Parts: sequence; structure tokens; C-alpha cells
Amino acid sequence: MIANLGFALAGAWKVLLAGMILGAGVPTFFALGIRALAWGTEGAGEALAARPRPVGRVLAVLCFAVVLFAVVAGFAIIMAAGLGKAVSFEHVFPVLVAKH
Amino acid sequence: MSSQTFVLALVVVTALGFDFTNGFHDTGNAMAMSIATGALRPRVAVALSGILNLVGAFLSVQVALTVTNAVVRIQDGTGAPRADLLAGGGGALLLIVLAGLVGGVIWNLLTWLLGLPSSSSHALFGGLIGATIAGLGLSGVNWNGDGSKLDGVVGKVMLPALISPVVAVLVASVGTWLIFAVTRGVAAGFAQKRFRWGQIGTASMVSLAHGTNDAQKTMGVITLALLATGRWTDLTSIPVWVKVACAAAIAAGTWLGGWRIIRTLGKGLVEIDAPQGLAADASTATVILASSHLGFALSTTHVATGSILGTGIGRPGAQVRWRVAGRMVAAWLITLPAAAVVGGVMWWIGHLLGDVAGPVVIFVVLLAAALAMYLRSRKAPVGADNVNDEWDEGAAVPAPAPAPVPQEVAA
Repeated sequence: MIANLGFALAGAWKVLLAGMILGAGVPTFFALGIRALAWGTEGAGEALAARPRPVGRVLAVLCFAVVLFAVVAGFAIIMAAGLGKAVSFEHVFPVLVAKH
Repeated sequence: MSSQTFVLALVVVTALGFDFTNGFHDTGNAMAMSIATGALRPRVAVALSGILNLVGAFLSVQVALTVTNAVVRIQDGTGAPRADLLAGGGGALLLIVLAGLVGGVIWNLLTWLLGLPSSSSHALFGGLIGATIAGLGLSGVNWNGDGSKLDGVVGKVMLPALISPVVAVLVASVGTWLIFAVTRGVAAGFAQKRFRWGQIGTASMVSLAHGTNDAQKTMGVITLALLATGRWTDLTSIPVWVKVACAAAIAAGTWLGGWRIIRTLGKGLVEIDAPQGLAADASTATVILASSHLGFALSTTHVATGSILGTGIGRPGAQVRWRVAGRMVAAWLITLPAAAVVGGVMWWIGHLLGDVAGPVVIFVVLLAAALAMYLRSRKAPVGADNVNDEWDEGAAVPAPAPAPVPQEVAA
């Protein structure tokens, strides 16, 4: 019982940390991208057709690239787990490794 | 056909039935947000989720032979069934598995009828625990593991069920708050359209992960039954037909769509917008992926529900229907014991009636219960057409579509 509680809390702490960085952080980047696209159109109502400023567009592309990277990494983790492998973030860039 | 083969066939059919209920019970975990915000049309959403579940079930080549070991002691560490349960052709083990599956299916159908998103893994484990207690006594249950790792009913079921919704609530509420802080002042229509794309991506991830995780459980249970009867002897793989059948069953269930549960998740708990939908789906996907990456078992349902609640808490001024949340939490708490009671009773009935009559009777009880609940659900159907109707607290399902109440009477 006590041993299990210890293992569970140790696991929960890591899941919470990963959740905050990826689960809350990545959508925030997505929101930043949308904000950058909408730069200069604030308060313009349904300004769907408005063209974003060039700087805004560059920033938006950067933000969306971060999101895309995270989504691809997410799919890679699911598939790797299914194939009996794991994705290692040891070298910052995700690498497929044999599961230990 | 020998009587043993006949009972085995009942077990396989019941297991696939469980897999099917597992599919439609969990469609909402992945797709309720996208359906509620209009990111995907209801039919498109369940079809996409069904396909991804199918792909996910095939993607997984890992062998989940030891799935029951988390909670009961009817197999050893290699996946081989316990020898003392195999006397006389494995009938003792088959009865435990069958009674456990019946308990899981009946509980899944009842909670679906009530529109309550309860955990399918808890229903399955509860049914197995009940049948095992009835058949082998309390010592047949793996309560705490051996202390070397997170294991047993406490470590694999109860603690994750307490912890994972809390983690999901925290992640989703922080995510929601940040998103609204960042996009304050951006025209609503402009933001909505783009957030919907983000939602579709994250919802797809949840569906794929569900296929890789949940179909495995049924594959493991069916293979255990095959091992017990000597129809399969390889402990390092599962038969191809088992894999195909389980993948098809969970995908078909998902594609059918558990509309009653989708409605509770998407409309009942909180009124959500596309940005909240993205925050909730991203939280669900990440918490599930991070947990399975770290070997921390949890229920998709608990995580998804926690995320949806969190997105209501994180948005300034949003309304959370705490009564609905309370009903759901109550359903979570009783899922395992309730399925255990059904599983235990089924084992007793089966045991009293004997080797063949017993399994047949509990299978018939299952069919009768399923039919009764299906017919009951038709009195107030929920489908793709009315899943997004306004939520009327007090009624778990929407009022019949054309309800022409004269204004002065209504007032």
C-alpha cells in the first residue's frame, strides 16, 4: 500500500510536469500563432479576410512549427510504443530507440 | 462441437461484445470536444475516431497476455493460466473470465444508458475481481502487488483513478487560462476557425492512443481463454484472428458512437468554445501519452473528463455544472465494486448450474439485460442529430425534438 502510494506519487509528479510543458504549453504556442496572425486586426470584428502583417506572419509560422513538431513527436511516441520501441529525448531531438 | 469448445465460443463472443462497448463508451473521450465546438460534424468525428482506433489496434505489436495480472491471480507472470484452474479442460478459468466479462459489459451498458462516462477498464477489472473473489476467494485478488513496482488493484486501478483526473484538471485549466490570456482581443470568429484545426489534430491523437491501449486488453483476455483450453500454446504472440476481431470490434463500437456519453461530455459538464476544446484535447492527449510513456496505467475516461472540467475552471466566467460532475464522480467510484458484484453473482449462477448450462444461462442473462437496456434507450434516443442540443439540467437526454410548448404556458 505505502510502496504503491510512493510509486504513484512519483509517477504523477512526472506526468504533471510533462502535462504542463506539453499539454498546456503547446496549445499556448498555438494561441500565440493565432495572435500573431491577427496582429493589427484587433477590434476589427470578424476580420477574417484581413491580411496579417509580415512580421506577424513570420512569428505565426514559427509558433505553428513548434506545435507541428510536438504533434509529430506525439504520434511518433504512440506508434513507437505500439511497435515495442520508445522515443528518446536524450539528445533533444526525438530518436527512436529500443525499449528497455 | 464439444461442450468445452462451445463455452470457449461464448467467452470469445462476450469478450468481443465487451470490446465493442469499450469502443462506443470511449468515443466521447476523443471526440466530444470536436463535436460540441463544431470542429467536426458528428458523423465525421466518430468515423475518424473509428478508423484511428482500428489503425491503433493493429499498430500495437506488443503482446498483452498478462493483462489480468494487474488485478487477479489466474495466470502466472509469463501469461500461462494457473495450472490448478485447468483441470477438466479449463472450465473453471473460462467461467471466471466469462462471468467477469459479463459484469463489465452490463455495467458499461448501464452507464451508457444513463449517459455517464465511466471507465471501461474499471468495468472489466471490476467484473474479473468479482468473479475471482466468488470463485477463488479474496486471496485470488492481487490487491497490492509485491511492493517492487506500481501494481495490484491499489496501484494499477485505485491510485491512478484518484490522481489522473486531478492532473488533467490542473493541466487543462492552466492551458485554457493561458490560451484566453494570449488571444484576448482577437476577433472571436478568426480565432475559432483556427482553433478547430488544432482540436482535430489532438483529438486524432487521443483516438489513436486509445486503439493501441484498449484493444490490447480484450486481445489478452481472449488469448488467455484460448490458452486455458489448449487451443493456443504460444506465450509470445497472439493469434492473428484475435487481433483482427478485436480491432474490428473496438473500431465498430467507436464508429457507432456512444452519443449519450458524447452529449454529457461535450454539452453537459461545461459550455465550451473551440479554444477550450483545444486545451482539453491537448491536455488529454499529453497526460495519456506521458503516463503510458512512464508506465503509469490510467483510464482515458478519467483523464478526458478531468480535462473538460479543467477547461471550465480555467476560463474566466465559464459555468461548470457541478451536479453533472458529481454524478460522474459517483459513477467512477461505484464502477469497480458494481461490476464486481455483477461478476460475482454471475459466477455463482454459472457455478450452481454446472459446466455447460451455467455459462449458457449467464450468457442469456447478458443478452436479456443488453436488450432491455437498448429498448429503454430508444424511449429517449440520442444520436448525431440531437447530440448538441441545449443542455437541460435534470434531463440526462434531450427532450423529444419537436416540443411545441406555447410561450405563455412555458412562462
